[in-house]
Amino acid sequence: MQNRVVISVVLLVLALSAVAWAVLRVQLPPADFTFVNETEPKSLDWALVTGLPEHRIIGSIFEGLTRLHPKTLAPLPGAAESWEISDDKKSYTFHLRKNARWSNGKAVTAHDFIYSLRRFLDPSTAAEYAYQAWYLKNARRYSVGAKGISAGDPVEVELNERPKGSRPFARGVVLRGKLIEKEGDDDHRVFIVEIEGRRHKYRSGDKGDLNQGIAPCKQVLLDFHEVGVRAIDDYTLEMRLADPTPYWLELLAYHALLPVNRECLETYGSPAWTQAEHIVTNGPYRVAFRRIRDRVRLVRNNYYWDPERPKLEVIDALAINSQVTVYNLFATGKVDWITDAPALVLRELIKTGAAKKEFNPQPYLGTYYYLLNTNRKPLDDVRVRRALTLALNREEITRTATGSGEVPAHSLVPLGIPGYTPERFGKEDVQEAQRLLAEAGYPNGRGFPKLEILYNTHQAHQTIAQLVRKQWEKNLGITVSTRNEEWGSYQTSIRKFVFDAARRAWIADYVDPNSHLDMMVTDGENNNTGWSNAEYDKLIAAARAETDEARRFTLFHQAERILMDEVPIVPIYYYVDKNQVRSSVRGFYRNPLDQHPLSELSRAPEMPADAR
Amino acid sequence: MLLTLWVVFTTSFFLMRAVPGGPFDSDRKLDGEIKKNIERRYHLDEPLEMQYWRELRNYLRGDLGYPYKLQDHTVNGVIREGLPVSAALGLLALAFAMSLGLVAGITSATRRGSPADVMLMTLATIGIALPNFVVAGLAILCFVFLIPLFPAAGWGSFHQLVLPALCLGAPHAADVARITRTSMLDVFSQDHIRTARAKGLSRARVIWCHALPGALLPVVSYLGPATAYVLTGSLVIEQIFAIPGLGSHFVEAALQRDYTMALGCVMLYTVILSTMNLLVDLSYAVLDPRVELK
Repeated sequence: MQNRVVISVVLLVLALSAVAWAVLRVQLPPADFTFVNETEPKSLDWALVTGLPEHRIIGSIFEGLTRLHPKTLAPLPGAAESWEISDDKKSYTFHLRKNARWSNGKAVTAHDFIYSLRRFLDPSTAAEYAYQAWYLKNARRYSVGAKGISAGDPVEVELNERPKGSRPFARGVVLRGKLIEKEGDDDHRVFIVEIEGRRHKYRSGDKGDLNQGIAPCKQVLLDFHEVGVRAIDDYTLEMRLADPTPYWLELLAYHALLPVNRECLETYGSPAWTQAEHIVTNGPYRVAFRRIRDRVRLVRNNYYWDPERPKLEVIDALAINSQVTVYNLFATGKVDWITDAPALVLRELIKTGAAKKEFNPQPYLGTYYYLLNTNRKPLDDVRVRRALTLALNREEITRTATGSGEVPAHSLVPLGIPGYTPERFGKEDVQEAQRLLAEAGYPNGRGFPKLEILYNTHQAHQTIAQLVRKQWEKNLGITVSTRNEEWGSYQTSIRKFVFDAARRAWIADYVDPNSHLDMMVTDGENNNTGWSNAEYDKLIAAARAETDEARRFTLFHQAERILMDEVPIVPIYYYVDKNQVRSSVRGFYRNPLDQHPLSELSRAPEMPADAR
Repeated sequence: MLLTLWVVFTTSFFLMRAVPGGPFDSDRKLDGEIKKNIERRYHLDEPLEMQYWRELRNYLRGDLGYPYKLQDHTVNGVIREGLPVSAALGLLALAFAMSLGLVAGITSATRRGSPADVMLMTLATIGIALPNFVVAGLAILCFVFLIPLFPAAGWGSFHQLVLPALCLGAPHAADVARITRTSMLDVFSQDHIRTARAKGLSRARVIWCHALPGALLPVVSYLGPATAYVLTGSLVIEQIFAIPGLGSHFVEAALQRDYTMALGCVMLYTVILSTMNLLVDLSYAVLDPRVELK
């Protein structure tokens, strides 16, 4: 009996002290500004991520050559103080600031940018966004590996061994020479390379083949010296582009072309270098700590060059998936900025208009649309596709399904690009739609095979799909069904063309029609419709080489007219931002890319965080 | 137990690989070589059985690998951070469930048929019937918006723990109450209680010293799996209250095709569940003099 009581008491005390330990361990001083960053960032290594939650953090801990004005999005000097652009718009010379520092106190130099760019393009880094740097001359050839080189090209051979005395995660020894020949198929390729007058055989992998005189190496790539970037001195960087790219300065601010600290990377390797205690950054903030699926805490980087920024000392980025929870936190004053809330709540907020100051949805450069699989019958008939777009009542969709003031879309390129106003295509015209469908051989929808709408699992997508189904059935007399798939399977289905019509959205990476239009070129990586038009491809290519803005935009207009005439996609609505920001926050601007640099934010004095 | 672990490991491994869609179905299509490169890094290009043996070997060494989606961390690291959070929440919920459930169960057993008994048992039935998220929704409505006592969500102070622990514990409290009541009534009808009463012991002494220890046994066997369940985190509660525990890692991993992370969570859950059942069996020896450890 005594025994039993003692054991029970001991267990109880143990349990309670475990609770106390777990709770005390996580006590935190509050941050100056807290926002909900949707989900846990996949990584802080900007070369490996593509998402918005990652971008919000990475954009404030790293700084590229340029940065964007928080309101106008015009490129401002970042790590580069100034730059010159050549007359043909293909050559850029950047002058780096001498007072730009890493968070370990060392200077940010042109060599840092070259190191970072090479790593970003290196195929073994596997950067999903590598193509953002392909505007640089020969960058594409470098980053596709063996596919990018042919006999006679200057190449670099990276060996598996590191140079003596280098850091533990440094690159292998690099030998430069000329490619004489590559033999064999993708799996067993042998490179014959002439280095300093002598021929060597290399094969990528751990083992060579001594009998045939084949040495092992890590990889054989185009010589990086061929890529259009070089350091003229420690603080001068030259970039040469393949085409004049009017938005190049904006892309440089984007997270795909940021610098990384070589010492940090080579010491800890990937992914360990991104841990809060290792990571070295050059942006206005640095990472204080990360708690998985809880928060990333950012604090001011005292080595940052601009004494005016950042304005807030400590920022918390919370990872919360449940939209209701997110809104509850905002409504109770626990967070200062949220990026989304349940559609029901948003609709109510708009209706009452009570929170105008905190919730003021503005259009930005995103379009919600349906892909039509033009490989399948009867969608291969352009008349059928036209009928589908003409039979849609987009006003009903934006009024009842979305409800935050989304704008009905009649083009792929969204509204809001200065100087470019897309035409309105495919306005609702049920009679014309029925006529076209009859012409295609399906009068009143008779004989039309069942059409299926695919969407990824989400309440909003479901509502829209049901509305579209209803409208098509009512207006065209055809049978439509819907199918929802979880995100991963949905992606696979789209890629393998296992759909008739599928929901899709695209948000611009930079303020230019090209961001939306160039994905629809033949075999474009995000075309996903099987649609192809030679004239369209030619116009997009011509726009790429054009330097005069008015003429470029004319070319884009022509291209978009072809696109909307052929209707491989059915635009539904343009996005509006759903940010809710506490009214005491200053420096938050609604802009066409929905990007909000944290370093510009401040708080109006004498407004407590939870003044509600 | 090892056999169980192995079966669970094998089944989960092949089930996860059998679902269409891979972990790298990101928004943008990858160039052929780049994709190959990534797959090589995660050994996805190897035949399935090779992947299986590699994974099994690593697990035996205690290395659970790298999650596909949280690329900056290791699975071990994620569990190391998530488990204490879930455990703290779970222990608190259990403490709440036990204290409330026992008191309610004993009360209604001793006053069988009284209005108090009827009321408590109705409450318990409702508590079992109501799903977690309804309880959580009601609790948030009451204690966050109507009477602003507690924060709506988050993790970092004791304050933020109260509501989720209450909601997580509520159904367990109801279960415990019902089990306690039934087994108390069962014990009351036994001979040794009659003997104790006949000896002239006080009512309280009979209840606390003679009836309760025996009546606790079914509660303890219920507690085993319940502990495993709350320790590894309740996904619903963790989602609603934005608590960075294991439950949310598990759900996210499953949804995002994060094979390694999901497998790690499944295995951990299995280990905890079987350990808890073992502990329950052992605790019988301590609590019940009729069972001898041999």
